[in-house]
Amino acid sequence: MEIVVLLKQVPSTESLVTIAEDGATIKTEDVNWIISPYDEFAVEEALRIREAVGGSVTILSVGPDKATEAIRTALAMGADKGVLVNDPAAVECDGLGTARILAAALKQMPYDLVIAGQRAVDDENFQVGPAVAEFLDIPCITLVIKEEMGDGVIRCHRTMEGGTAVLEAPLPMLFTTQRGLNEPRYASLPGVMKAKRKPLENKTLADIGLAAADFSQPLVRVTALKPPPQRSGGRMIEADDAQTKAAELVKLLHEEAKVI
Amino acid sequence: MTTTHESIAFDVLFVGGGPACLAGAIRLMQLARQKGLDLEVALIEKGADIGAHIISGAILNPTALKELLPDYLERGCPIEAQVNADAFYFLTRKKALRLPFIPAPMRNRGAYVISLSRFTRWLSKIAENLGVNIFTGFAGSEVLYGNGAARIVGVRTGDKGLDKAGAPKSNFEAGIDLHAKVTVFGEGARGSLMKTIGNRLNLYAGRQPEVFETGIKEVIQLPTENMFEDFGVNDIHLMGYPLDIETPGGGFIYGMGQGRMAIGYLVALGYKNPWLDPYELFLAFKQHPFVAHLIAGGRVLEQGARTVSAGGYYTVPRLYADGALFVGAAAAMHNPPALKGIHLAMKSGMLAAETIVDALEKQDITTRSLSAYRRRVDDSWVKTEMFAGRNFAQALAAGVPLKFIHLAVQQLTGGRGLRDPLPTHSDHTTLRPAKSRPAPAAKATVACDNTLMVDKLTGVYLSKTKHREDQPSHIQVHDPQLCIDRCLPTYGSPCTRFCPGEVYEIVTGEKDAQPYLKLNPSNCLHCKTCDIKDPFENVTWTCPEGGEGPGYKLL
Repeated sequence: MEIVVLLKQVPSTESLVTIAEDGATIKTEDVNWIISPYDEFAVEEALRIREAVGGSVTILSVGPDKATEAIRTALAMGADKGVLVNDPAAVECDGLGTARILAAALKQMPYDLVIAGQRAVDDENFQVGPAVAEFLDIPCITLVIKEEMGDGVIRCHRTMEGGTAVLEAPLPMLFTTQRGLNEPRYASLPGVMKAKRKPLENKTLADIGLAAADFSQPLVRVTALKPPPQRSGGRMIEADDAQTKAAELVKLLHEEAKVI
Repeated sequence: MTTTHESIAFDVLFVGGGPACLAGAIRLMQLARQKGLDLEVALIEKGADIGAHIISGAILNPTALKELLPDYLERGCPIEAQVNADAFYFLTRKKALRLPFIPAPMRNRGAYVISLSRFTRWLSKIAENLGVNIFTGFAGSEVLYGNGAARIVGVRTGDKGLDKAGAPKSNFEAGIDLHAKVTVFGEGARGSLMKTIGNRLNLYAGRQPEVFETGIKEVIQLPTENMFEDFGVNDIHLMGYPLDIETPGGGFIYGMGQGRMAIGYLVALGYKNPWLDPYELFLAFKQHPFVAHLIAGGRVLEQGARTVSAGGYYTVPRLYADGALFVGAAAAMHNPPALKGIHLAMKSGMLAAETIVDALEKQDITTRSLSAYRRRVDDSWVKTEMFAGRNFAQALAAGVPLKFIHLAVQQLTGGRGLRDPLPTHSDHTTLRPAKSRPAPAAKATVACDNTLMVDKLTGVYLSKTKHREDQPSHIQVHDPQLCIDRCLPTYGSPCTRFCPGEVYEIVTGEKDAQPYLKLNPSNCLHCKTCDIKDPFENVTWTCPEGGEGPGYKLL
């Protein structure tokens, strides 16, 4: 079974994110980087399937040089090889552009199963996995919490409001992960040692048959990022009796908060 | 539970990714190349990355760096700024008196202001390029002994994937036994493994007790227009307020360029007043009119805390054991009057590396050959420098006015003073009973806007500390009942104050209305204050799962 995991390196959830001068990107210099947690579920599930039925696990990512750290971590967890599409022209990509790149890279490699995170926890776009499936013209099942591999088919359980749906699709196919699918393993120390010697290929857009110029104009562009509104502390209404307090509260809700 | 531990053998294993081990690993590889030795070298670090748990002022005296990497500037050594001038202030409640004279060891003009977190990350890249296997996110949980328990043969890394009760989860990953011909311990002040080795192999016999300070530090981003850069001095040390004259400690402010400043406050853990709260002192320091003026309009980017091994020369333990060497702050490498230790840590690591290469070449890795490390230290500038300040911290720990007499005589006698060595007390023994000191009416309420004035829990957030909740507590309180029966009435539970991360709380039980100790180990900044200061030695700090804890970038 040839399994490909789509992986993105994202700022760690503990990072203090600050918006850059341009107002549309974040400052990245003091940020810690991790594998997007949903992609970590994807890596773990891929490894479990390989352990059960044999085959190999390839990590595929789009990103700058730094993204090799995330791929190495996945290799240390046990994946077999990595491919990084590393091209300055890909930096500005929107979700659809990223999906086109990943699909183009996939067309050059064997795959029976593609596993992606349901979303990356930085952009929160939810687009890339399904769009890759579309570009490859293969079935896609999203938000999977359990899978069972059959003969040439996969059965996936996905959560829905108030219950679970069980879906089946023939291979090759793509599914995206949901929390609860598994508990990702740690990169072991021998795994870290072995990961250094595992193949990690860097590719440009030209290498996967794409023209850089096609990616200069993303269809969707981030024009502004805004931090959540500042939380202000609560205010205590001071008064002698409950009646006066209530009257003051009503007044404030009406005049200041303008909610009644 | 019986767990099998895979083992991997190296020639040399470094425990800890600080300046001591990194400089040691680099020197080791340099020498191995020169001599054509093929060495397998590993370095483990409990932080998720090199630098994640590293915090220091920091003014770097570049002596050791120049010896290790003469072309450090060409290699892009991350230097934040160069010290343009020094200033030394004594603070009263409202005023700041600039001292006309700066003690010689504290003159830093020309030295570098660095972020030790960045600096060590840079060193780690050099070490890696020389072939050192660096394993970040792996904590040493246990020392491995061999040869009838007399010889240190390596370190076991911590298990990962245990639940709260200590049972393995589905992703359990057993620790690995890392075996080495020589293991170098450089875990920093109060290393958790160093402590066990010290007790087991009597490394501290005949030494002055090791003493510590707790430091809290922030990096502040100042507005474009700010008083600090106009002030023109980028190396400021301050003593006096808010500390009483009895307790040693003080503050520092260093300019980092780009409108950033490092600000910190240290308190000697030999303090006597059980009500003292180092974090509250730090806040009060920041609110002193002189300091408040310099930091006005700023925003805290990062905060952290760590203990410093501050005792100096006479507190340095035996530096070698069969199969092991001890370097850096874990071995008390610090120059107390200069307030510096990075260069001594680096040099100690380098001298350890030279000793190891000699021993490996002679194929004689015994206590005898490794003891040459101690001689190397004594023959180097490490000894000269540390010896001059050998009684300094002990003098400061004395009462008033005795401390001033000690310091004056030491000044005149090249550090010898009235008694040499001047004895002192272990930090856990110095607290006075709570009733002997006036209890603060209520917890000092410094108004925190959590932008420039940051409360403890926001500080934990700004340290980017993370621990998985579902794991056994890495803070071991041996007898929780003692906390309530003896510590609370005698000392008023000082752990609730000395811990800068609010790991310790005394809360009242909902059912029985009885007080009990509540631990929040996930707040832990890995500073080790509790392990040092607890008056009943009732707390043992151990490493949590590797890769957890603070995530420093700038400190």
